[in-house]
Amino acid sequence: MSPMKLCVPGEKLCSAEDCSPGAGTYLRHGQIFASLAGYVLKKSEGEELPVISVIKETEAQLLPDVGAIVTCKVTSINPRFAKVHILYVGSTPLKERFRGTIRKEDVRATEKDKVEIYKSFRPGDIVLAKVVSFSHISLGDVQSNYLLTTAENELGVVVAHSEAGVQMVPISWCEMQCPRTHAKEFRKVARVQPEYLQA
Amino acid sequence: MPVDTRRVRAPEESQCPLLFVPLLPRGPLRTVAQPEKARVDGRQRSQVDVRPVFARCGLVTQAKGSAYMEAGKTKVLCAVYGPRESERKDDTDMKAGRLVCDFRYAPFSCPKRGTWIQGSEERDAAQALQEALRPGLCLHRYPRAQVEVNVLVLEHDGSVLAHAVTCASMALVDAGVEMYDLVLGCALRQDGDSYLLDPTLAEESGGHATQPEDNQGGVTVALLPSLGQVSGLHADGELRDESVSAAVRACMEGCHRLYPVVRRALVYAARRKAAPPGDADD
Repeated sequence: MSPMKLCVPGEKLCSAEDCSPGAGTYLRHGQIFASLAGYVLKKSEGEELPVISVIKETEAQLLPDVGAIVTCKVTSINPRFAKVHILYVGSTPLKERFRGTIRKEDVRATEKDKVEIYKSFRPGDIVLAKVVSFSHISLGDVQSNYLLTTAENELGVVVAHSEAGVQMVPISWCEMQCPRTHAKEFRKVARVQPEYLQA
Repeated sequence: MPVDTRRVRAPEESQCPLLFVPLLPRGPLRTVAQPEKARVDGRQRSQVDVRPVFARCGLVTQAKGSAYMEAGKTKVLCAVYGPRESERKDDTDMKAGRLVCDFRYAPFSCPKRGTWIQGSEERDAAQALQEALRPGLCLHRYPRAQVEVNVLVLEHDGSVLAHAVTCASMALVDAGVEMYDLVLGCALRQDGDSYLLDPTLAEESGGHATQPEDNQGGVTVALLPSLGQVSGLHADGELRDESVSAAVRACMEGCHRLYPVVRRALVYAARRKAAPPGDADD
């Protein structure tokens, strides 16, 4: 394997006639310069000009896709929606925190208008949700906002703490009980998958 | 009408007394012109002779990117966090990101012990740092995000702002923030007809002045070497105009001397961070 060339920002890579600029590069006065410090990668697309890019980290950054099941933590609630931080995509933890929103009408599949967010989620709950859509300014954007839904039986709150601070046990799809004080609290509970139940 | 009896009011029109007084000699040592001699550490006057530099990236593991630089006895540490979401949403620019700089002297860095509270000199230096670094960053690629640069001076032995600029740009590259070019800094002390490049603290404060009353001052330049653009220029003291242009040219030459060392440190850090991607990788 031939040694890969390393570059630092500001180094001239090639002319715009030979390649087209990819990630980690910029175009100036008909020349392509590097904008990151890393390995220079030149990929030939076939008929078009090869794309020259600078790779800093070899592992691709994981981004939640539409339809992916994500694990998130509720940060704030509002009568119209709940704001969450997405922590895991499937079973892989994310390096960066992405923000998500669960709207009032996406909490449940039935009786959407009678939903009360306060009785479905509370700040600090861990929720399983599915990605509906997202808005990115550009790939890898910091401020991407994901629209999530819990309108399925298997989605919803998995871990919640009661007002006493103890982790609660689910008793139905809409209630959880604290084992210490035996107080019941309303949540939109996720149905436990049969394979995780120990009968 | 209520009269404020507790305070002694100043006159309505007041002017700075320094405008009316001729330039005072700045100390007993410097009233007499001293013969021109070589610099204390053996470098030459009026020549582009920078101190040897040690630079390493990746020192602060908790930060996204970091760099440590030593030039002579001056030691500067920089940590970069971000790009992350801006905390203040009031003046956030929706189209481009923001750069926030923080500059601090450690209390043990100067001959006289300081405090951890940021003084006005540090705030000015932070402002100068921000102005020098801003043109080098591709902030339009990080809309509504903020990049934080924290510089800590561990030992102050002259030309701190210049080395802080270089160190900060190395840390930004280490953090993976997209930049148009590196930003390198170099400082100079004009002493009469000769200049001292990359001055030490004693040289910077005028201790080794040969012509104490004429053409004394300091110039700091921040340069983007590949693009050949000057992003920051600071001068203080009383300098003749041809001295200023000669000083800027000398500082630019000093920055070009620094470039290979900085490049080598960044390449070393990039190679250490990740193995080269395979040919079949995307």
